[in-house]
Amino acid sequence: MNAIDEDGLARAIGDTVRSASAKAQLITADAVVEQLRQRGFGKCPGTSPEAGLCLSVAAMLSALPDIAPLASVSGSIVYHDTTVLSRTYARILDRKSASAMLLAEEVRSNSRNYPRPVPRELFEKPPFDLAPETITAVLKALASGQEFRDIASVTTSAGAVYLFSDLYLERGYAAFLAEQDASFAMNP
Amino acid sequence: MAVRSGGFVGKVLRVDLSTGKIGTEDTIERYAAMLGGAGIGYRVLWDEVPAGTGPFDPANKLVFAAGVLVGTSVPCNGRTTVTTIFPTCWPKPLVGSGHMGGHFAATLKYAGYDALIVEGKADRPVWLMIRDARVEIRDAGHLWGTGIRRTTLELSQEMGPDCVVAAIGQAGENQAPMGMVVNSVSHSAGGVGGVMGAKNLKAVAVTGSGAVRIAGDKGEWERLIKFHLSILGGNNQHVVPSFPTPEAEYYNPASRWVGQPGKRWGAAKPPVEITGNIHDLNRIAYRTNSAAYFLGEEAWKYTVRGNGCTACPIRCHTMLRVPSVTAKYGIPDTAQNTCVALQFGRLFFERLAGRKGGEAAIEACMVGMHLADDLGLWSNYGQLQRDLRKLYEGGYLKSRLGSQEYASIPWDKYEKADPAFLLDLIPRIANRQGELGEVLSRGTGAIFDHWSIPEAQWAEDRTTTYWKMGHPKHHANEDDGQCGVIINTQYNRDAQCHSHTNFVRNGLPLEIQKNLAAAIWGSPDALDAPGDYTPANVHKARRAKWSLTRKELHDALGVCNWMGPWAASPLRARGYAGDDSLESKFLSLATGQAMDREALDRIGERIFTLHRALTIRDMGHVDMRAKHDLVPPWIFEDPNGAAPFTKGTIRMDPADIARAMEFFYAVMGWDKDTGAPGKARYAALGLADVGEKLAAAKLTPEERK
Repeated sequence: MNAIDEDGLARAIGDTVRSASAKAQLITADAVVEQLRQRGFGKCPGTSPEAGLCLSVAAMLSALPDIAPLASVSGSIVYHDTTVLSRTYARILDRKSASAMLLAEEVRSNSRNYPRPVPRELFEKPPFDLAPETITAVLKALASGQEFRDIASVTTSAGAVYLFSDLYLERGYAAFLAEQDASFAMNP
Repeated sequence: MAVRSGGFVGKVLRVDLSTGKIGTEDTIERYAAMLGGAGIGYRVLWDEVPAGTGPFDPANKLVFAAGVLVGTSVPCNGRTTVTTIFPTCWPKPLVGSGHMGGHFAATLKYAGYDALIVEGKADRPVWLMIRDARVEIRDAGHLWGTGIRRTTLELSQEMGPDCVVAAIGQAGENQAPMGMVVNSVSHSAGGVGGVMGAKNLKAVAVTGSGAVRIAGDKGEWERLIKFHLSILGGNNQHVVPSFPTPEAEYYNPASRWVGQPGKRWGAAKPPVEITGNIHDLNRIAYRTNSAAYFLGEEAWKYTVRGNGCTACPIRCHTMLRVPSVTAKYGIPDTAQNTCVALQFGRLFFERLAGRKGGEAAIEACMVGMHLADDLGLWSNYGQLQRDLRKLYEGGYLKSRLGSQEYASIPWDKYEKADPAFLLDLIPRIANRQGELGEVLSRGTGAIFDHWSIPEAQWAEDRTTTYWKMGHPKHHANEDDGQCGVIINTQYNRDAQCHSHTNFVRNGLPLEIQKNLAAAIWGSPDALDAPGDYTPANVHKARRAKWSLTRKELHDALGVCNWMGPWAASPLRARGYAGDDSLESKFLSLATGQAMDREALDRIGERIFTLHRALTIRDMGHVDMRAKHDLVPPWIFEDPNGAAPFTKGTIRMDPADIARAMEFFYAVMGWDKDTGAPGKARYAALGLADVGEKLAAAKLTPEERK
């Protein structure tokens, strides 16, 4: 494949991932190859045969500057364009099929990075969209399992429940931050 | 400073209500060194209002000042600063200012005036008509006794649809220290309404056919405007949304950026659904819904739209339509406001004050907005409501009010959080009716004086959030540790400074905030995680100084300190940095005279230092540290007994706060022992005449020694 072909293929790969990301979708390398095939890339003279196309796509996906791989909960590698689909949102999308991991990892990242507990009701809203009873069931499962036993909750004086990871936040500090968060609207 | 060519419109209008004399002064010649806003106000008070003048004396002056960037296309430029001897400052009135958004400031400039100085006292109720160069003092006999809405309507009908009216209601007419002036229906400046009333000035109505010239390169100006828009977040410059979005790496459930795609302005006709990319610059106005933020999800269905100030895309004055309130309480079904003024009614009720939602809370807000914005009654940043609750819940009223008056107040409605309670209470205060109405109309200090209640009973009770001098804290240690404490020691009313809190609450992860802090204030240690405070250091003091000088600068430029400074942004490509020199870039282009960030900050410091000088002069003390820069005892307590500098407490350490103040005095160049500027410091800031006068009165540190 010459340089022009490579540039064209790279552009097409980027466009394919970007297009998926713009629709809030993650895409595997295989799906990228399939879409490229449909656009005639594997069939054009001067481009690689199908096996080669797969290799080229895999290599280019890892080299394109704004395209990021994500190890999916499904076990495969999926890709997104970080300029239109953030890492945070991509992770949420990927974990939507695994409610326990979705909730636990989101709580962990908030406790670790900001740091802060998050209101339980956050998970009832988009893009999480978990039903209250699902959240209850997930929290019960988390408490009884080993993998996410660090997920804990505090209740504010006004009755709001906040979730945090005790790997990153001490209970007392989480309680303070929850109380503060719940009172921001009273402290304008 | 030869800045005649842009930004400034050139004249300051002076109206003497005692003599009827109306004149103008050249803004540049007299006030260029102070830019505008409180800068002009402080200068007028320093030069023309003697120490000891009372707020309601004819000798007191009211300075309505726009800012240099007001009336341009700079986002968020609609601020008016009203500077005067502030009547709720206790135990002695001192210099202070009220601030209002809306459209008064821009219209005043379009009429050709950078500021309006009102002096003297009319011998009968009057209103001031400003139509470009035509300025008249007109009879307001037919308006006196009416509310702000009727006054606004009548003057608008007389002046035309482009007119902007700033009016007082009955509270101001009655010279209530808690009176406020309101322009554009809902944009208020607290504490100054009674001063207008004392001058028999019912309203100022203005129309203007001019424009504000931009002296610099127009293409560069447009590019800077677009850049500014690109670094805007939601209200209070919260730079991440409250919900995860595909476009943003970060979010914060506590962010005021609540306009999520799928939400609906349910009371719009037809309802408007938020769609598309909320990061798009043409959709900034959908990001903020103050009612939804403060009152909860139910508020979306009552939302008509966002309203706001000149050239501001944030639209934080959320307009609500709640049909039920008309039948229930006999008030209009539509109202708009933001922050405390939006919650004016709800906050009176113990049962509603601590939580967001519920129909009763929304109805209470509607009743409160209607009454407060019509009668012109200020909340003193919610202290009025906290005072009423403490007085009632603490049994003070039962033991102090006469039994007949106590029985005349519908406390049963208070207990039930029935908004109808407000129909009785708020007019009592605005009309200064009875003992309760009279005392509350004078502000918190009157509670201490009238009922012989020691100030300590408020200052030791953290639930009052009382700070000092008759006023509450305004983003203090609960938000920002020592930086917040320092800022809250400096003014004669609540601090009203948002430079610091807009940054610490911006929603970015702590590590990024610290990176930005290091770039601006020299160290990541300029900032702590909330409730995880470390000992005082010079970097925090620098940030406090920056916060205060930028607050004064914003008032002087007429841009909103509830949005600025723009130290952070939503832009990942910039490492989430905003632009700390944005104000100076705008000013340079507007005036055509280059001024860098440091030079402009120096002007902010000059303005702030003149406020300090006025305070020293009028208090008659140089020892600000001991007599003025005070903190309430509650900041040194923790309800659970947690020690200072442990995680999860806002408790401060007395010795550390003393060190924090010393760091601050040092970065200000003030005397460590007194917290006062010396003659040399005044001179270095272009205030040599001020320093000399204070020295002559033995009110500089060196003269004291």
